[in-house]
Amino acid sequence: MKELIKQLTQIPGPSGYESAIRETIREIIKPYVRETRVDAMGNLIAQVGTKAPGGMRVMVAAHMDEIGLIVSHIEKKGLVRFSNLGGVLPRYLAGGRVVFLNGTRGVINSDRHDEVSKIQPISQFFIDIGAISEKDCPVKIGDLAVFDREFLDLGKRVSSKALDDRCGCALMIETIQRVKQSPHELLFVFCTQEEVGSRGATTAAYQLDADLGIALDVTPVGDILGVKMQVNLGEGPAIKVRDVGHIADPAVVNWMVRTARELKVPHQLEVLDVGSTDARAMQISRGGMPSGALSIPCRYVHSPSEMIDMDDYAHALTLLTGLLSREIKLEKK
Amino acid sequence: MNQIESFLHELLSAPGVAGFEGPVCEIIRKRWEPLTDEIHISRVGSLHALRRSSIPGKRPSLMIAAHMDAIGLMVKDIRDGLIWITSMGGVDPRILPGQLVTIHGAREYTGVVQMLPDRLVKHQPAGGAPGYSQLFVDTGLSANEIQANIHIGDVISFASAPTTLGDKYLSGHSLDNRASVAALTVCLEEIKDYRLQWDLWAVATVQEEVRTVGAHTSTFELKPDVGIAVDVTFAQEPGLSTYETFPLGKGVTIGSGGNIHPALHRELKDRAEEIDLPYSIETMPKGSGTDAMAMQISSAGVPTLVIGIPLRYMHTPYEMVALKDIHRAGRLLARFITTLTSGSLESLFKGGAA
Repeated sequence: MKELIKQLTQIPGPSGYESAIRETIREIIKPYVRETRVDAMGNLIAQVGTKAPGGMRVMVAAHMDEIGLIVSHIEKKGLVRFSNLGGVLPRYLAGGRVVFLNGTRGVINSDRHDEVSKIQPISQFFIDIGAISEKDCPVKIGDLAVFDREFLDLGKRVSSKALDDRCGCALMIETIQRVKQSPHELLFVFCTQEEVGSRGATTAAYQLDADLGIALDVTPVGDILGVKMQVNLGEGPAIKVRDVGHIADPAVVNWMVRTARELKVPHQLEVLDVGSTDARAMQISRGGMPSGALSIPCRYVHSPSEMIDMDDYAHALTLLTGLLSREIKLEKK
Repeated sequence: MNQIESFLHELLSAPGVAGFEGPVCEIIRKRWEPLTDEIHISRVGSLHALRRSSIPGKRPSLMIAAHMDAIGLMVKDIRDGLIWITSMGGVDPRILPGQLVTIHGAREYTGVVQMLPDRLVKHQPAGGAPGYSQLFVDTGLSANEIQANIHIGDVISFASAPTTLGDKYLSGHSLDNRASVAALTVCLEEIKDYRLQWDLWAVATVQEEVRTVGAHTSTFELKPDVGIAVDVTFAQEPGLSTYETFPLGKGVTIGSGGNIHPALHRELKDRAEEIDLPYSIETMPKGSGTDAMAMQISSAGVPTLVIGIPLRYMHTPYEMVALKDIHRAGRLLARFITTLTSGSLESLFKGGAA
């Protein structure tokens, strides 16, 4: 489990540039699926099983992309200005390190400012890659970088960049490896460009035309001081009721809760006031589909050091495998 | 109380917070069933009712849509026997303190929204408007009773009762957009005995208040040739500009802007004038903020129009509309529908958008 998450988090893959992470995942799942394919948006799609009587066509999505930085301007002294690709928070930038897709590394810092209590906008930050001039600079306008932060094994908990959503990708990979008997046609989609608005999931949902959609992603937690939200690290996977962009189908929520109870998997209900997942794209695809999301609680989301609890991950794996292996009954309360 | 007024009272008494429209949908289904030829519920919960054309073979179709979902609240956290809340759709927290609400838990529980008293909250200037972090619902239940019966994610609806004010106005929660559902019902009643040249889909959509889920998905499924959304718009209130608001009880609005097809705009104005129906032109420079936004860009695109019903105190537990305007919206729709001919589609849109 940890090894897989470690491997996946360390591969750079900002939105729109997911080829390296996609090829890694494709190699890992190859022995377990009949075939894999990559669509025009770069989504990796793997089908497992076929639809038996009473079965459904289920789309399960986890996104491969991570938030990143994109070069917008290079100063005469070789300092690199950048913009964000996805929800990069300025407060996590100064003093951090990045790695470009061409392997160049650099450190981030900001213009001098007098009001130290205020956080500067992204436009006032730059990456110093050690170049002495603009000419000498090995990166160009439009080049992409991601946070450079190694995987940290803290025992029960782990920390890394890109746990959002590589832990969801790992969860999906391990589910593919475990689901042996299912009455469903399972369409596992490793999506692109979630961080910039679920663009991969939008087109994947349209082409696959499934009966049910489930997104696997991380959710922020409320166990840090000052946040009023009842999802805690280490208390089990979170079943999404709603976030800013998506109200999960109540019948899907009930099905997940019922299954979690039957499997005796600890779980939490998630009501989130920031962000959304690929489930929002699935819900309004074509004539619409019942959709929901299973979340792994995560501290410090969108920072270079996100943190999850491995027990939450293990419970999510048990729950997801159970959900996809049995007959699905969607009933409202 | 006339038929539509009593139907509205029934609609306004049922919960139907975005994503949880079941109860109100059932009331509408019962009302529309005798007025239409075919009725079904979409995969995401929208109500689709068809009045079939009497013309054999291929004929154009019109979709008229009103969203049936309402704004509301949701249980976000439970602590110390109190319920902490978040909004479903745009609910200004300033209107909440002192409101009676219904929590849809194991059964329905009444509660009252309250806020921490200024005087006893340290480090907080007195007299400020409360935010969601300072608002909670007190149900009077014990912590144990709450734990057993109310859960995170349960929806909360306003408990304000619908009231007829004077004899012309109706007040209550969810008039946005049940007023328009009633207008569609007026229309279906009006055209009951007409033979239609076009197929007509009357649609009550879900989740407009959060992201027009129903408009996206119903338009894709039904593939209409023309779409009309009916929604409420801002009525004049003291202190508001007169060009962004419309007089209450003095007629409907006909939209104009990027979300509105110019040919449809002209057509609806003509139909209104033919029957001496009062209307205002509502400019919508930034998009209409209604279901028509999603309808317009469905599949290969749909020419759309918005009809507005002026409403005061939008997104509060006591919104207010004039019953007359609801009837007018329904009559205008009916006039448009009954004058459509098999050649209308071609003649309306022959010249493209201009």
